[in-house]
Amino acid sequence: MFGRRFFALGLLALLIAPAAVRAADANYTLAIKDRKFDVAELQVPANAKFTLTVKNLDVVPSEFESTDLNREKVVVGGGTITIYLGPLTPGRYAFFDDFNPQARGTIVAK
Amino acid sequence: MDRIGFALAFAVTLVAGMAAARADFEIRYPIVDYREFEFEHNGSTSVDSRSALNNNQSYTFELGYGLFPWWEPEIEAPYNAPPGSNSAFGGLTWENTFELADPGEYWLTPGFFAEYQHAASRANADQFTFGPTVQREWNNAFGSGLNTLHTLNLLVAKQVGRNRNDATPIAIAWQTRLRLNQYFEPGFEYYGNLDTIVNRTTVSDPTHRIGPVVVGLVNFYRYGALKYEAGYLFGLNNATERGTIRWRLEYEKAF
Repeated sequence: MFGRRFFALGLLALLIAPAAVRAADANYTLAIKDRKFDVAELQVPANAKFTLTVKNLDVVPSEFESTDLNREKVVVGGGTITIYLGPLTPGRYAFFDDFNPQARGTIVAK
Repeated sequence: MDRIGFALAFAVTLVAGMAAARADFEIRYPIVDYREFEFEHNGSTSVDSRSALNNNQSYTFELGYGLFPWWEPEIEAPYNAPPGSNSAFGGLTWENTFELADPGEYWLTPGFFAEYQHAASRANADQFTFGPTVQREWNNAFGSGLNTLHTLNLLVAKQVGRNRNDATPIAIAWQTRLRLNQYFEPGFEYYGNLDTIVNRTTVSDPTHRIGPVVVGLVNFYRYGALKYEAGYLFGLNNATERGTIRWRLEYEKAF
C-alpha cells in the first residue's frame, strides 16, 4: 500500500516538476563553417545559466558534443540548435564535433 | 503531433503479449543520441547463501539507433538463468526511449520509456512496460564545487494475452553520481520492485536493493565511444537476495 501511494505521488510530481521553466538567460553563439567552430575559446560567467546557439553554416551535419558538459546534439546542415547550460563551476569545458573530431573548442567559465 | 503526444499515444497503443517479467537492473536515461547506433550488453548475477536466490543470472543484448532527436528504438534479446536452471532465451523486446525536452531546458529533464516484450514460450504471457524517466543535473551541489547527476525511473508493467497474471508490477530505479571526470563517475543506485510476477498466479514480495555504482566513458572520437557501468546492490529485506552484481557495456557510433 505504501509503495503504491509513493509511486502515485512520484508520478504526479514528475508530471508537474518539468513545468518550472527557465527565466530568460544570457545567450552565446557558435558557428560551424568549413567544418570548424568559429570560436576556439568561449568565455562565459561561472555559476550562471546560459544558452548556447550553434549554427551550422555547412551543408553536412555536425554534432556539438562535450563530455565535460554532458551534452551531445546534432545540428543538421544549414540548421540551428539551442543548448541549455549552467550553472557551471569555474573551469574549462572542452567540446568537439563528433562527426569531425578535429573541430574542437573550449568554454571557459570564470 | 508533438513529441509528448507521440510518446503518450505510443504507450497507449503498445498493448500485446510477451514473456514474464523479472527484475531489471538498468537505469533508463531520458536522453536520445540522435543518429547514433548503439550496441549494449547488460548483465546481473545474484549472491546469496539461500540456494533459491543464489546465482540468478540475467543477460541482455541490445541494438538501438537514434531515429529522431526525441526517439530511440531498440531491439533487445534477453537471456535468463534462474537458480539451478540453464540459461534460456526470454523473448524479443522492443524498447523505446523518448526525450521530451532538451537537457537543462527545464528544472528536470523529462523522458518516457515504453517497452513491448514478446514471450519466447506460449506458456508465458506477453508484457508491456512503460513510465516516466527524469534526470536532474545539480552542479556545485551545496556550494561544494561538485557536479552531480540524478536519474529516476518509475515504470509499470502489464501482462496481456493468454496465461497472463493480472498483477501490475511496479519498478522504481534511482541513480545519483558525482561527475568527477568522464572516465570515472562514482555514485549509488536503488532498485525497488513491487508485485514482480513469478508465474501466472504468483507475485513475489516487494524487493529493495541499494548499492554503489561506477559509470564511465572512453571516447575514441571517429571510431565511436565505449561506456560502462558496474555496481553491487545489497538486498534490504528478506525477500531480496543478499547481493547482486550488475554491469553494463555500451558501444556507440554516430552515422
